[in-house]
Amino acid sequence: MWSIVLLVFLSLCAGVAAWFLFLWATRSGQFEDMEGPKYRMLDEDEETGNKKED
Amino acid sequence: MPTCEHCLIAFPSHRAVTATFGGSDKVFCCHACLGVYEMIHTEHLEAFYRKRSKWAPGPVVRLDTDPALFAETVRTIGEDLMEVEVQVGGIRCASCVWLTEKVLEKTHGIREARVNYATHRARIRWVPSTLSLSDILRRIANVGYQPRPLNLTGENQFLEDERRRLLTRLGTALFFSMQLMLYSAALYAGYFYGMPSQFRTLFHLTALVLATPVFFYSGWPFLSGSWRGLKQGSFNMDVLITAGSGSAYLLSIWQLVRGREVYFDTCAMIITLVLLGRYIEFGAKKRSTEAISRLLSLVPGTATRLVAGTDDPSRERSETVPVESVRVGDVLDLRPGNRIPVDGCVTWGTSEVDESMLTGESRPVVKTVGNDVFAGTVNRFGAFRFRVTAVGRNTALSRIVSAVQEAQSRRAPIQKLADRITGYFVPLIVLIALFTFTGWWISGRPAPEALMAAISVMVIACPCALGLATPLAILVGTGRAADSGIILRGGDTVEEMARSAMVVFDKTGTLTTGRPKLVSATGLGMTCEEALRVAGSLEQNSEHPYGEALYQAAEGLDLLPVEDFVALPGQGVSGRVAGLPVMVGTEAYLRSQGVDMEPLEGPDAVLPENPAHSRVFLAMNGRLAGFFHLSDEVRPEALPMVARLKSMGLDTMMVTGDAETVARIIAQTLAISEVRAAVSPVGKAEVVRALEGSGKKVLMVGDGINDAPALTEASVGMAVGGANDIALESADAVMLREDLMLVPRVLELTRRTYRVIRQNLFWAFAYNMLAVPLAITGWLHPIMAAGAMALSSLTVVGNSLRLHRH
Repeated sequence: MWSIVLLVFLSLCAGVAAWFLFLWATRSGQFEDMEGPKYRMLDEDEETGNKKED
Repeated sequence: MPTCEHCLIAFPSHRAVTATFGGSDKVFCCHACLGVYEMIHTEHLEAFYRKRSKWAPGPVVRLDTDPALFAETVRTIGEDLMEVEVQVGGIRCASCVWLTEKVLEKTHGIREARVNYATHRARIRWVPSTLSLSDILRRIANVGYQPRPLNLTGENQFLEDERRRLLTRLGTALFFSMQLMLYSAALYAGYFYGMPSQFRTLFHLTALVLATPVFFYSGWPFLSGSWRGLKQGSFNMDVLITAGSGSAYLLSIWQLVRGREVYFDTCAMIITLVLLGRYIEFGAKKRSTEAISRLLSLVPGTATRLVAGTDDPSRERSETVPVESVRVGDVLDLRPGNRIPVDGCVTWGTSEVDESMLTGESRPVVKTVGNDVFAGTVNRFGAFRFRVTAVGRNTALSRIVSAVQEAQSRRAPIQKLADRITGYFVPLIVLIALFTFTGWWISGRPAPEALMAAISVMVIACPCALGLATPLAILVGTGRAADSGIILRGGDTVEEMARSAMVVFDKTGTLTTGRPKLVSATGLGMTCEEALRVAGSLEQNSEHPYGEALYQAAEGLDLLPVEDFVALPGQGVSGRVAGLPVMVGTEAYLRSQGVDMEPLEGPDAVLPENPAHSRVFLAMNGRLAGFFHLSDEVRPEALPMVARLKSMGLDTMMVTGDAETVARIIAQTLAISEVRAAVSPVGKAEVVRALEGSGKKVLMVGDGINDAPALTEASVGMAVGGANDIALESADAVMLREDLMLVPRVLELTRRTYRVIRQNLFWAFAYNMLAVPLAITGWLHPIMAAGAMALSSLTVVGNSLRLHRH
C-alpha cells in the first residue's frame, strides 16, 4: 500500500514540476516568437573566431 | 568616378568593365554586374532599368530619438541592469532581425538583445552605468532602422497578454488532465477487474487533487462568464460548460464521501477541450489582426519640419525629425513620392494625393491650400506644406486600424452557431433534470438521492467536444482554402460564404484582367507603326494602364527620346518626342488643346466601332496623327467559372463603372444574368445593400481598391489577386492567385465546412443525449461518461479532418 502511495506522490511531484517548467516558459516568453528561431540557426556563428574576409 | 550601369555604385575607373549593348558603351563595376545586365537584356527585361529611376532609395536617416518617449517600457530588472522594449521600424526579413541583434549585442554595455521576428519588437537588456538609452536608440538608427516607442505603433498589447493568459490556462489544464487520465484509466480497469477499496479511495483523492486546479483556475473564464451570462438572463455556452463540469465536480465529491465512482475526469476534460478550441480560434484571430496592424507600418518614421520664425522664404530652414516628436501645429514639408506621416491641412502648394488605402478610390485626389491630408497616403506629383492637425493615435489611419481590430476581437465566430444551440439546450437539460428530481421525489426516494440523479443528468448531458466542434472544422477548412489560394479571415466568413445566394462581380480587374491590350493602331498621315512608335515613346514614363499598353505594344520598335513629359490624370499625357510637341489622350483632352478632330468625322475615315474598345488619340504638332483601340481582355477562366456558379444554384450579377453598352457585351459573353452599369464606387455599395435588404446573402468579388465600400457592405467581400494590406482591410477573403475558378472552389469548400460544423455539433450532443435516459433512471456510470466523452471527441476530430480530403 505505502509503495503505491509513494509512487502516486512521486508521479504527482514529477507532474507538478513539469507544470512549473511550463509556467516558467510561458512567463519568460518562450512561446512568444514561434517564427524567429528557425531562421536563427542560419545565422553565422561568430565564436569560431576565424572570420573570412571578402 | 564612373557609376555602374547595373548597381549604380560609384567605383574607381581602373576597375571598369566595359561592354557594348545596342550600339552604346556601358560601364560596369564588375563582371557579375555585367553578367546580370546581359541576362536582363537577353530576357527583354530592360524595363527594369527604365522603371527603377522612380524608386531610387531614400537616404538612410540617422536621427536622435527622444528617449523620454520610451520611458513607459523601461524596467529595472536587477542590480545595474535595465530592460526596454522597442518597436523597430524598417525590418523586412530575417536578415534585418539578425543585423539588429548583432549590432546591439556587440555594443559594450548591452547584455542581451532579442528581436521578435513576428512583431519586430526588440527586447534589450543593458547596464545603465555604461550606456544610456539614447545611445542604444542611436545604435539602432545608425544601421538604418527606426526605433519607435511601443505605444505609438498600434501593436495590440492587450491581445498578446490575452494570448499568454489563455496559454497558461490551457497548459495547466492539459498537464493536470493528462495526469488525471492515468488514474482514471486505473479506476476504469479497477471497475472491470476489481480493486481493493483503499487503492480506489487513494486514486479518488488523487483525482480530486488534480481536478481542482483545472476546474477553478483553468475554468475561471467560464465560471465568471456564466455568472455574467446568468445575470443578463442568457444561457450561453459558458453556462453549459460550468453546469456540466461544475455538477460533475460536486457530484464526484459527494460520491467520494459515499465511496462510489467519481467523474473528475469528465469535469476536467470538458474544460480542457473547450480551452483547446478557444486557443485554436484565438491563434487564427490574432494572425488576421497582425495583417491589419501592419497597415500602420506604412506611416513613415520621419518628417521634414520647417523651423518656425522664418518669414523670409530664402532663409527658411527645415529639419528632419522622427515622426513621434511632431506636434499638432507644426508645419511639415512634403516632397513628391513620399508618404504623408501625420494628418494635416495644406498651407502651401498643390499636389495630387493617392488616398486609395483610406477611401478605396483609386484615382488620386487634388490637394490645394485648405484641404485635409491624411497619414499613410501617398503624395504623387507636387511638393506642398501642411499644418499638423492630428498625430499618433488620433490620425484617421490609426482610428481605422483600431476600429477594425475592435470589430475583429468582438466577433467570436465559434460563439454564434454554438450559442444558438446552447440557448435552447441548456433550458431543456435543466428542465429534464428538474423532472428527474421530481420523478424520484414523488416515487418516494430520499431528497439527496433524487438530487444526485438530477445532477447526474447535467453531468452526462454536457458535451465535451462542443468546444472543439466549430474551431477545429474552421481551422481545417480555412487551412484547405489557404492551400488552394484563398485566405479567409474568420469563422463567420465560412458561415456567411456557405450561405450566400448571389455572387456580384466587379468588371475591371475582376472579370477582366484590368491590363488593357492594344487591338489596333491607325495612323493619319503616317504609317500605323510610326504612330505607335511616337505614342509608345511618349508613354515610356506613364503609369496609366493605357499608357503602359501602348508602350508595351511599341516595345519592339526603336523608341525616340522624350522631353518635358507631363501627365494629366484622367486626360492624357504630353511632351516632346524627338523635338516635336506630342499629345496622347482622350478625345476631350485633345479638343481642349485645340486639336482639330475633323479627320475622324470625314466620310473616308472608317472606324471599326466596337463599343467594348476604348480609344486613345495621338496628336503631333497640334494635328491629329492617329488613334489606337485598346481592349481590356476578359479572363479566360471567367466563362467556365460563371457556368460553375450557376450549376451550384447561385445567381450572378456584374456591377461596373463602365458604360451600359460595354457592360452588356461582356455580360452576354459570360452569360451573367444581371448587369448594373455606370455605377460609382459608392453606388456599388448601394446595389449590394439593396440586394442584402431583399434577404439575399451576397458574395462580392472585386479588386479590393475601388470596390472597397461594396466589399465591406456585402456579407462576404472577396478581393482578387491583391493579397496586400489594403485589400485585407475591406475584404473578408483574399485570393492569392488571380484565378477566378477559386471562387466556386472556395464556395464549395465553405459549404462543406459549414456542413461539417453542423454535423460536429450534432455528434457532440448525440452520444451524450443517448446516455441521458440512463442518468434519469439513476444508472449513470463513469464508464458511460468517459465513453460519451471519448466517442464524441473522436467523431468531431475525425469528421473535421475529413475536410482535408478531395
